[in-house]
Amino acid sequence: MAPSDERTGWRARLTSPTATALFALCFVLLIGLIFSGDGAFYKWSTHRDALRQASVYGILACGMTFVIITAGIDLSVGSVLALVAVAFSILSIHKDWSPWLTIPACVAIGAACGATSGAVIAKLRIQPFIVTLAMMVFARGLAKTISGGMKVSTAMQRPDGSWTAAPVPDIFKAIDSRLLGDNISVVSLIFIACIIVSWIILARLRWGRYLYAIGGNEEAARLSGVPVVAMKILAYSLAGAFSAVAGLCQAAQEQQGDPEAGIGYELTAIAIVVIGGTNLMGGRGGIGLTLLGTLTIGYLDKILSVNAVPEASRLMLTGVIIIVAVLLQRRKD
Amino acid sequence: MRHAFTRTILVSLVLLALSVTGCKKSTPTSNAGPTNASPGAKVSYTIGMSQCNLGEPWRVQMNDDVRKAAEAHPEIKMIFKDAQNDTLKQRSHVEEFVSAGVDLIIISPKEAQPLTEPVAKAMQAGIPVIVLDRRVLGDEYTCFIGADNKLIGRKAGEWIVQTLGGKGNVVELEGLMTSTPGQDRHSGFRDAIKGSDINIIFEADMKWLEPDARKEMESALSRFDNIDLVYAHNDPGAHGAYLATQAAGRADKIKFVGIDALPQEGVVYVKQGILAATFQYPTGGTEAIDMALKILQGETVPKEITLGSRVFTKDNVDTGGDPI
Repeated sequence: MAPSDERTGWRARLTSPTATALFALCFVLLIGLIFSGDGAFYKWSTHRDALRQASVYGILACGMTFVIITAGIDLSVGSVLALVAVAFSILSIHKDWSPWLTIPACVAIGAACGATSGAVIAKLRIQPFIVTLAMMVFARGLAKTISGGMKVSTAMQRPDGSWTAAPVPDIFKAIDSRLLGDNISVVSLIFIACIIVSWIILARLRWGRYLYAIGGNEEAARLSGVPVVAMKILAYSLAGAFSAVAGLCQAAQEQQGDPEAGIGYELTAIAIVVIGGTNLMGGRGGIGLTLLGTLTIGYLDKILSVNAVPEASRLMLTGVIIIVAVLLQRRKD
Repeated sequence: MRHAFTRTILVSLVLLALSVTGCKKSTPTSNAGPTNASPGAKVSYTIGMSQCNLGEPWRVQMNDDVRKAAEAHPEIKMIFKDAQNDTLKQRSHVEEFVSAGVDLIIISPKEAQPLTEPVAKAMQAGIPVIVLDRRVLGDEYTCFIGADNKLIGRKAGEWIVQTLGGKGNVVELEGLMTSTPGQDRHSGFRDAIKGSDINIIFEADMKWLEPDARKEMESALSRFDNIDLVYAHNDPGAHGAYLATQAAGRADKIKFVGIDALPQEGVVYVKQGILAATFQYPTGGTEAIDMALKILQGETVPKEITLGSRVFTKDNVDTGGDPI
């Protein structure tokens, strides 16, 4: 996963990004084994729920991984999630579109947001932080505009002004159900599918090598014939498309499209990628690390929740554990 | 390299701050246009409404209530401004209303201290001010209209004690506990269940957010096999808890109680049988327009109006709930 690693043998393996990310995850799991919340941590249902809860963040982090590998950042993923959640709810609940049409349309909305950011970043050479910040504000505004500032739920107003509820669309129920004898949530399977797709792009396609090359040294990549502009647009489009998938999962799980959804999720997604060990400077990292990062953050969240730790302590503990995990990563540099 | 990166982040943060302030300045000017545009026309009163944050459905409802009440009076012209949860922006909205010379200001302030002075200045300029829901400090305002969260929490607690026959295991999903409504809905509820055999077996701060409520409820469900009722500080929280419970196949054994009772949200959940009860937290929008008209016609109004609440259950939801 780190092609530039020249060290060999067990020592190198122990300090590799994968090993440190695994170490962080094991550390969090150990906390769970000790503070098990009256044994709740020993039940599979707790783990199933932890995976469900972490999946939306994990899907966002998949997209974020592409962008960070090119030494970029995408702050707009939470807003794109909300925009797609709203669009998905309007089309599914109120317009009765078929899911076969709705889902591609929603993913296209997300990819279009990403492609727009990517094009501005790559062609006009404006810093990703600024461009995606603008997209973050714009997409949030668009989500509020098309939803009229209200949650798009199954509640419908009758002509006489009273409210009634439409049935929850089947596609919402399908995404928010469980498979394999009630043992795994569909959203977790969607997350795993996103991990696999990301792994194929990053580790098996030429595109992946291009993305690493751009993050490592953009000028060198350009000189050696990498289509830098196209690849950057690709990276941000993928981030947008994955945000859209996360938005579909969010709407299905809430049974509504909330234009305020996903606020602050971009920070969680960045934290996941960084805790995994993907380098914010670009050029190094991988999707396996993001998977480990997702599990670390997801389990940390679950363990704090199952022990009913007060909110104030949760924030402090999360901060401490993130910094410890990042320090572990840094030592090997 | 690392320094360059830090600098980039810092510069970007400054730009972020600038960009936000930039938006701030542009919104009010675009809104302020129509004030006093038609002298001598049918409009005889212009009322400025300063809302602190239209990101919350309850506040959207408040504006809707104000708008509906005002539409019944053709002599009233309303100007709405949304401060997007920004105290200083709301402050400048009030100042803009004063310089535009509106006849009356309705404000639902984001917080007391920073908005006390702008409100006092408006009063000194001879413009009556109605304060809605949250307070300002001191007494330089014309009329305060608000509901009592602590009372609503207590009524919810009493209802829960009665419904469970005085004993049972309850999960409490709290609104943001650093906010006054969260604290009041908590303490009122705890006062009411004192002396009964109701145990709070799990409590968590879900920060008013449905996804967080669902997550916390999943934890409660995996820890406890016997849960009788969930008391959530708002209806989305109760709904999130219901979704978690339904997924665990235990929804028929647990009752859910929420607060707010928005017509398109909590009340619909009661109609669907998802919530056992929801307690209304009234917006006061209609009352604000009633008071505004009285003030503008020179009548005296009480300095303080506490709004009543209603409870909605399966039995009374079709008839509009019962006052409590």
